Amino acid sequence: MTKAKLSRRQVLATTAATAAALAMPYVRGAHAAGKVTVGFWDHWVPGANDTMTKICQQWADKNKIEVQIDYITSQGQKNLLTAAAEMQARSGHDILALPTWQPNDKAAALEPVDDIMGELIKQNGDVNDTVKYLGRKEGHWIAVPATTGSQFKGPCSRIDLLKKHAGIDVQAMYPAGAEPKADGWDMETFVTAAEKCAAAGNPFGIGLGVTSDSVDGVGAFFSSFGANLVDEKGDLHAKSDNVRQVMEYMKRLGSVLPKDAAAWDDASNNKFLVSGQGAMILNPPSAWAVAKRDVPAIAEQCWTHGMPKGPAGRYGPYLPYFWGIWEFGSNKTAAKDLLVHLSAPDNVGKLVAASGGYDLPSFAKLTKFDTWAEEAPPKGTLFHYPDPYLQQIKSIAGAPAPANIAFQIYNQALQTKMVVRYLQGEKLESVLSWAESELEGYSRT
Amino acid sequence: MVDTATKTGGYADAAARPRSSLKRLMQRKSTIAFLLTLPLILIIASLVVYPAFYAVHLATLSKSMTKFVGFGNFLFLFKRETFWMVVQQSCVFAISAVVFKALIGFFVAHFIHAIPTKGQRKWRGMLLVPWVIPPAMSTLAWFWLFDPSYSAINWLLVHMGIDPVPFLGNPYWARFSVILVNVWFGAPFFMIMYLAALKSVPDQLYEAAAIDGANWWQRLWYITLPMMRNIISITVMFSLIVTFANFDIVRVLTAGGPIDSTHVFATYSFLLGIQGGDIPLGAAVSLFMVPILGISAVFILRDITKRGNEA
Amino acid sequence: MTATATFDKNGSDRGGPTRPVHQGSMSRDRRRALFWSYFFLMLFVIFFLTPPVYMFITSLKSSTEIAGARNPWWVFDPTLMNYQTLLTSTEFLTFILNSAMVSVIVVSVTMIVSVMAAFALSRMRFWGSATLATGIFLCYLIPETLLFIPLFKMFAVVHQFTGIQLLNKWYVLLLVYPTLTVPFCTWIMIGYFASIPKELDEAALIDGATYMQTLTKIFIPVALPGIIAATIFAFTVSWAQFLYPLAFTTSTDQLVLPVGIVTTLIKGDVYNWGQIMTGALIAAAPPLVIYAFLMDYYIAGLTAGATKG
Repeated sequence: MTKAKLSRRQVLATTAATAAALAMPYVRGAHAAGKVTVGFWDHWVPGANDTMTKICQQWADKNKIEVQIDYITSQGQKNLLTAAAEMQARSGHDILALPTWQPNDKAAALEPVDDIMGELIKQNGDVNDTVKYLGRKEGHWIAVPATTGSQFKGPCSRIDLLKKHAGIDVQAMYPAGAEPKADGWDMETFVTAAEKCAAAGNPFGIGLGVTSDSVDGVGAFFSSFGANLVDEKGDLHAKSDNVRQVMEYMKRLGSVLPKDAAAWDDASNNKFLVSGQGAMILNPPSAWAVAKRDVPAIAEQCWTHGMPKGPAGRYGPYLPYFWGIWEFGSNKTAAKDLLVHLSAPDNVGKLVAASGGYDLPSFAKLTKFDTWAEEAPPKGTLFHYPDPYLQQIKSIAGAPAPANIAFQIYNQALQTKMVVRYLQGEKLESVLSWAESELEGYSRT
Repeated sequence: MVDTATKTGGYADAAARPRSSLKRLMQRKSTIAFLLTLPLILIIASLVVYPAFYAVHLATLSKSMTKFVGFGNFLFLFKRETFWMVVQQSCVFAISAVVFKALIGFFVAHFIHAIPTKGQRKWRGMLLVPWVIPPAMSTLAWFWLFDPSYSAINWLLVHMGIDPVPFLGNPYWARFSVILVNVWFGAPFFMIMYLAALKSVPDQLYEAAAIDGANWWQRLWYITLPMMRNIISITVMFSLIVTFANFDIVRVLTAGGPIDSTHVFATYSFLLGIQGGDIPLGAAVSLFMVPILGISAVFILRDITKRGNEA
Repeated sequence: MTATATFDKNGSDRGGPTRPVHQGSMSRDRRRALFWSYFFLMLFVIFFLTPPVYMFITSLKSSTEIAGARNPWWVFDPTLMNYQTLLTSTEFLTFILNSAMVSVIVVSVTMIVSVMAAFALSRMRFWGSATLATGIFLCYLIPETLLFIPLFKMFAVVHQFTGIQLLNKWYVLLLVYPTLTVPFCTWIMIGYFASIPKELDEAALIDGATYMQTLTKIFIPVALPGIIAATIFAFTVSWAQFLYPLAFTTSTDQLVLPVGIVTTLIKGDVYNWGQIMTGALIAAAPPLVIYAFLMDYYIAGLTAGATKG
């Protein structure tokens, strides 16, 4: 029974696609019955899930298709567990939200989405290189960059503390509504400020743990020094001068970070900021949102801005999410249609607003929503969050290594572990040798 | 349930008939015994043994699970420094946690046994609480007590003039913390088992010893310990197995960090197999628990059988 | 009832090893021993009860108070808001209901299966019975962390061939939990049944009772404390299981309590520790209550089972 319906649905889809020709081939009023099951990322910002449900419901009503949504948290790696399990079982949701490396890792079981990506890029503008690097395999798109969950982990600073301890006016450097004047905002300024703030009892809160906040932050420092552990061809450079340089820098920075930074998880830096102890953290605006909820006085002093410039450029830690369609899914055409619907500019705007500016769309034409300019207090605190003047290179830790190796670098938190080992007194040479042997292991197929 | 019912009926019929030959009785007995154990056999065979062999099969495949590599995954692991660290940490974790659980359980049981009977119930009830709370939940409470920014323990330390401790941030403190939480969770189980055993030691033995002028330590060494030897073996064995395979506590508390210093087999195989998408390698790591546990089990089982034969 | 009576008798009749044998005045030794016993018990009670007490303290705080980082051991503005929020949320009530259903069914199945098997294994030697007893023990050498991926694949195959969907349904837990409870309960019951004097059931058999009658009329009543002990074990295990439900269920309406709390209350960056601790405390309550009522049975059961097994 279901099968008959499905094939009818597919026939309809093809006909519709041909008929619509140059227009959006997947938006149409097809009255096909059926059901799409979706596993979205469980959003950390309260209310964001409801907006997502509403947007999906609109599509469902229009197409007479039932949509069943599960919100799957990334806490405790539940989303990774779900993805691994569904791929093994070859059953589960039709669409699943996949963080960063998952599309590449699960590519064998994902439906190529070149068709809809072509349309979406035409409609919404191009995507940055990191998204291409993560969302494609062997030249084919295997997942659609998601609005929900994609985030930028630039600094969120305390205006008052940086002014008082380090003499830096972040609002002047990154004025709301205007181009940044951040030429002097480099690695040296950054670490000096960190030292001053730590001496005054309000250290910078940069984690050196193994979860994504820590890995993304430290990864951006590595990129800023041009310290790529593995290059595009898969050759190891663990002992290069750039790596030594960044290790020395991280040792200097690490020694003024909180004592238990090595054990921080994604919530630790938020708590550090909200508790009033930290002068700066690297995080999307969720920390600020919690402060707004619980300790408004601290939220009023928060300012999100860009990363400092390193010898190799100004790299910003960027963590995109994707929506993938299982190739074993039962309703792939409808799934593609839903993803197109979710990526329509209007809906993206709604999602960004519902997340309080947390979600960062990957498409070039979608970085100018009012949400970021309007959010307060203080007004304009999020203006520079989406990097509106494109001054930062959005990077992901582990890049530009071949995806399977980079995924391991990221997943095993190799870079933060290198830093922690060095910080805890191991000799640089032995840390680098250890890293090299780990890297050799990562190229396993 | 259905099985039981039909069997009962059938048996009643059979019993009502005139006595049958001894041979037939024997036959019936083994048939019944087999039917009684059948649900158990089915559960174990289909949901434990079969998947276990399937896991062994998985461990011999390449990362993409398309090629048979034999012992390739194991050889790969042997060359990794992190893997040996995990082996070491698993052993340190399991052995030290079990030793402390057994010691604390033993002494607490003694203290409870030493106070008047009237008050024992109350104390026992309070001391058993950690074991009753689901470990995933209580580990959350510990995690919150250790929290870097809001640690309530560090708050106390600071107010006593002691420097705050990076409970989860420093490798040694983190190892200490996971063992502490495991001991906290498991010690009450030992306590209750040992208390039960203590109560079953005949008073006459102590009376006789007291008449002979034995002191507290002598009574402990010559009466209590030998009488409790069996129960100590059993509890230690089970606890060793459960502690070796522990997942929740390490996962929630440290997730293996910092720098992999608190990983045990289960969390490391989870990291490689699920998070890292290398299921065969993850399966290979978790298979390492089996021989280590098997060896300890054989030793303790032999001990129990020996004791049993002497008794 | 019988068990309680037995226990009370034992309790009042038996003294501790450090108790004086002769009724005399309290010796100084005795008083000192008592003092130190209480002293150390006090220390251990503090150690053992700190996390649950701290859970309780935190559960009474609003997130604003927690973020304020004042004295964490004191509640300045107690509020029941966390309890109210959780106990009126349909999601949370579903978790409780799922947990209760799973636990009750698993405990019943476990007890039926393990009592039957333990009876056969302890009294009716048959071909392979020794191997089977060892096999039950060996189950403990196969950790659940090893089993959950192959199990997941098996369930997918079942779906493929029979159309029965087991994944992401709470009742899949009814299949997998017994693998954790049955071996241990059988092990306890074998030990317990073995301690029942053979004369008892031999006499019954000679009198013409069937095996099933022996089991229901003699073994089960006599071993009742042991059965209750095993029931509590089974309940604790199935109520607290974490990895299997985490792996096999994802939909919010299919989750059991511990996983529900961890996956819906902890939201990474936007943590709410007041609610998390409240949830954890609520999840801990049923085992605690059941325990408080059945503790005496439990200990009486263990006494016989442990010393002779």
